[in-house]
Amino acid sequence: MPTDTKRVRGPEVSQSPSLFDCRPSVVPPSHGARADGRQRDQVDVRPVFVRCGLVSQAKGSAYIEAGDTKLLCSVYGPRETERKDETDMKCGRLTTDMRFAPFSCPERGSWIQGSQDKNFSLMLQESLQPALCLHKYPRSQIEVNVMVLENSGSVQAHAITCASLALADAGIEMYDLVLGCSIRQDGSSYVVDPTYSEESNWSSSEHQGGLTVAFLPSLNQVSGLQSDGEMAEETLTAGIRTCIEGCYKLYPVIQQALVKAVRRAQPPPPES
Amino acid sequence: MAAGFKTAEPLEYHMSFLKENCRPDGRELSEFRTTTLNIGSISTADGSALVKLGSTTVICGIKAELANPTVEAPGKGYIVPNVDLPPLCSSRFRPGPPGEQAQASSQFIADVIESSEIIKPEDLCIDRGKLCWVLYCDIMCLDYDGNILDACIIALLAALKNTRLPKVTVNKATCKPEIDLKERHELPVHKHPVGTSFCIFQDSILIVDPTADEESLSTSRLSVVTDEEERLCSLHKPGGTSLSAEKLQTCINRATARQREIQKLIEKVLNSVKAAQ
Amino acid sequence: MEVSAPSNVSLREFGCEQSLLSRPDGSASFVQGDTSVMAGVYGPAEVKVSKEIYDRATLEVLVQPKVGLPSVRERSQEQCVRETCEEALLLTLHPRSSLTLVLQVLHDDGSLLSCCLNAACMALMDAGLPMSCLFCGVTCAISAYGQIITDPTSAQEKESRALMTFAIDSKERKVMMSSTKGSFSVHELQQCVAVSQRASERIFQFYRDSVRRRYSKSL
Repeated sequence: MPTDTKRVRGPEVSQSPSLFDCRPSVVPPSHGARADGRQRDQVDVRPVFVRCGLVSQAKGSAYIEAGDTKLLCSVYGPRETERKDETDMKCGRLTTDMRFAPFSCPERGSWIQGSQDKNFSLMLQESLQPALCLHKYPRSQIEVNVMVLENSGSVQAHAITCASLALADAGIEMYDLVLGCSIRQDGSSYVVDPTYSEESNWSSSEHQGGLTVAFLPSLNQVSGLQSDGEMAEETLTAGIRTCIEGCYKLYPVIQQALVKAVRRAQPPPPES
Repeated sequence: MAAGFKTAEPLEYHMSFLKENCRPDGRELSEFRTTTLNIGSISTADGSALVKLGSTTVICGIKAELANPTVEAPGKGYIVPNVDLPPLCSSRFRPGPPGEQAQASSQFIADVIESSEIIKPEDLCIDRGKLCWVLYCDIMCLDYDGNILDACIIALLAALKNTRLPKVTVNKATCKPEIDLKERHELPVHKHPVGTSFCIFQDSILIVDPTADEESLSTSRLSVVTDEEERLCSLHKPGGTSLSAEKLQTCINRATARQREIQKLIEKVLNSVKAAQ
Repeated sequence: MEVSAPSNVSLREFGCEQSLLSRPDGSASFVQGDTSVMAGVYGPAEVKVSKEIYDRATLEVLVQPKVGLPSVRERSQEQCVRETCEEALLLTLHPRSSLTLVLQVLHDDGSLLSCCLNAACMALMDAGLPMSCLFCGVTCAISAYGQIITDPTSAQEKESRALMTFAIDSKERKVMMSSTKGSFSVHELQQCVAVSQRASERIFQFYRDSVRRRYSKSL
C-alpha cells in the first residue's frame, strides 16, 4: 500500500477495540419490538430534525438528523464547468460527492474514499438528476457535497432527502423535491428506516435484503431505486410501496423546513 | 451600493471600517466572534466536540484503537491528528487529497499537541513494549469562515476532555487484550492550550479572529497558543509583514485573556453535559 | 527558571556558494556547521492558468528531504519559507508569471529551517530578482538549564525544551516569520528574539561580504 504523505501518519496497523470485546455481542431480535421501541412491519420512521442554511459559505445547505444518523450537505454553483472537453454544453452538470467522516461509523474509516462512498455518490447523483431542471443551467455545474457525521443506518436515504433540500435552499430550479426512504427485509417481516445494527446484523433465514427508494412526492414518481439481497417479486413491490409511504411521512417536515428557510431569507413585510 | 463597493474594492471597503476602529461585521478590532461549543454529540466516536466561531464550524471526533508501540519508544502511545478541509466547507477547496493549507494545519495541530503536552504519550501505554492506544483525532471543517486554527484547537481540547477510553486487561495466559467497552475511564488532560489568531492589515493594524475575507486581504497572519500557566506553546507566524516586539506583546496579552475565557467555557459545557446524563 | 542570554552570540561556521548550478536562473548552497541546503530558483516563467494571479507573480516553494518523499512537515516548512519570500520579493513587478524555489536538503544537523531560509535568500539574490529587503533565519534552542543556544546542532535540539526559528528582515530587524516547538515563557521568547536579532547582524554582514567579493572583480 502506498504511504499517505499528505497526512500525519500513525502506526502501520491498529485494531479497533471492539475486536477484543470480552462481552458477547447482543444480536438484535428478529421478531417483536425493535431495539429503539419502534414497531416492526409498520411504516415507523424515526423522527427527523431538518434545518436549512447552516453553511455560510455555500449557496445552499441542509442538515438532517434522524435518530443518531447525522448528515450535512452543501451545494455550490451553478458555476463554470471545470471539464471543458465535454461536448454536451446545452445542459448543466450535476456532481455529487458523498463522504463519511472517519469517526462516523463504529469502526474508524479511512480518509481515503473507498468504493462504497463512490457507489453512494453515484446513486445520489442518479436519484437527484431527474428532479433538477438542468437544461436551465447550460455550460455550468452544480456541486453537491454530503458529509456523514454519524452513521446510524439508512444514510443513503437520508442523504438523498438532505441533498434535495440543500438544492432547493440554493434556489436551483427543480421539478420536485426528492425524498429517500429505506427498508430492510428480514424473512417475512421488515423494518423501515433501519438503524446501523439492524442493517449490519444478518440472521440466517432466506429472503434477506435492503431497499432504498428515492421518490418525487408531488409528481408521484420514483427517481432512484437500489436493492440488494434476495427478495421475491411480491416482497419487492410491497417494499417499494412501503418506502413511498415512508417518504410521504417525511414530506411535511421537509416542506416546513423549506418554508422556514424562505421566511428567514425574506421576512414578510410588516403588517401596518 | 455597499455590496458593490465591497465586491469591486474589497481592501478599500475593509480599510474604511478599520480606520474607524471597527470591522464590517460590527466587531471591535480585538473582539472574538461568539464561540459556541457542543460536546459529545457524536456517539460513534470515543470523544467529540463541535465548535462554532461565528459561522466557522469545526468538528473533532476521536477514535481510539490498539497498536504496538515503536521500538524506540516502547512506553508511549500515538496521537495522530489530522485536519481536513473538504469541498463541503468552502468553494475554495477542491475534492481530492488535502491541499497545502490542510496539511500545514495538521502539522500545526500536531506541533501544538507535542509542545503543550496536552496528553502525555506515556498515558496511552497499556503494556510496555507490547500494546498501546492510538488516538486518531480527526478534525473536519464544516463551514470555512476564517480562523480555523483557533477553532481546531478548541475542538481538539474539548473532544479530548470528553474522551472515555474502555478498560483493557491483558490476559496473562493468552497475552491477548480483553476489553470492556461498557466500563470507560477519562483521559488525563494535563494542559489546556488555547490559540488566538491575528491578522495584520497594511503593516500596522492588528485584528483578532479574522473572517475568511479578512484573512485573504491581510498581509500577515499570526497564531499564539498559550496554556493556563501563561506559558506559550506556539508562536506561529508563517511569514508576511514583519512585526515589532511591542505588537507581539499585545498579541500575547490578548491570547492569555482568551485562554481563560475558553477554559471556562469548556468547563461550563462539560458540567452541563454531565448534569444532563 | 531564569534564562541567561549569552553576551556574544555563537553561530556555527557558515558558508555559501552561489551560482553553482547551471540550469536554474539562480542557485546557492548554504552550509551551517554540518547542516547544508541547496537552493535553486526558476523564473519568472510562464504560469499555469489555474495558478495565475493577475497582479503578481505566483511563488512556489518545494522542500525536498534528504531521503524519502516530502511529508506534512515539509509542507509546513514550505509554507513558512514561501510566505517569507513573498513578503521580501517585489512580486507585483512580474504579474502573471511563476517563480519556483526548490530547496534540497543535503544534510540535516539541526537548525534546518533557518538554513533553508538563508539558502533561499542567497538563491533569490543570485537570480537577481527585485526584493524589498533581505531576510535571514536564526534558530534558538533553550536548553534544559535555561541557556539560549543559537544555531543548535540536532543533538542540542533533542535535549532542548524549546526551539524557535525566526526570520529577521534586513531593514528594521523585525520578526517576519516565527515557528516554535516546546513551551516557553514570554520573557524567554523576548530574549530569544533579541538574541536572534543580534545573530542576524552577523549573517547580513556575511551576505554583504559575499556579494562584495563576488562583484569586486567584475566592477
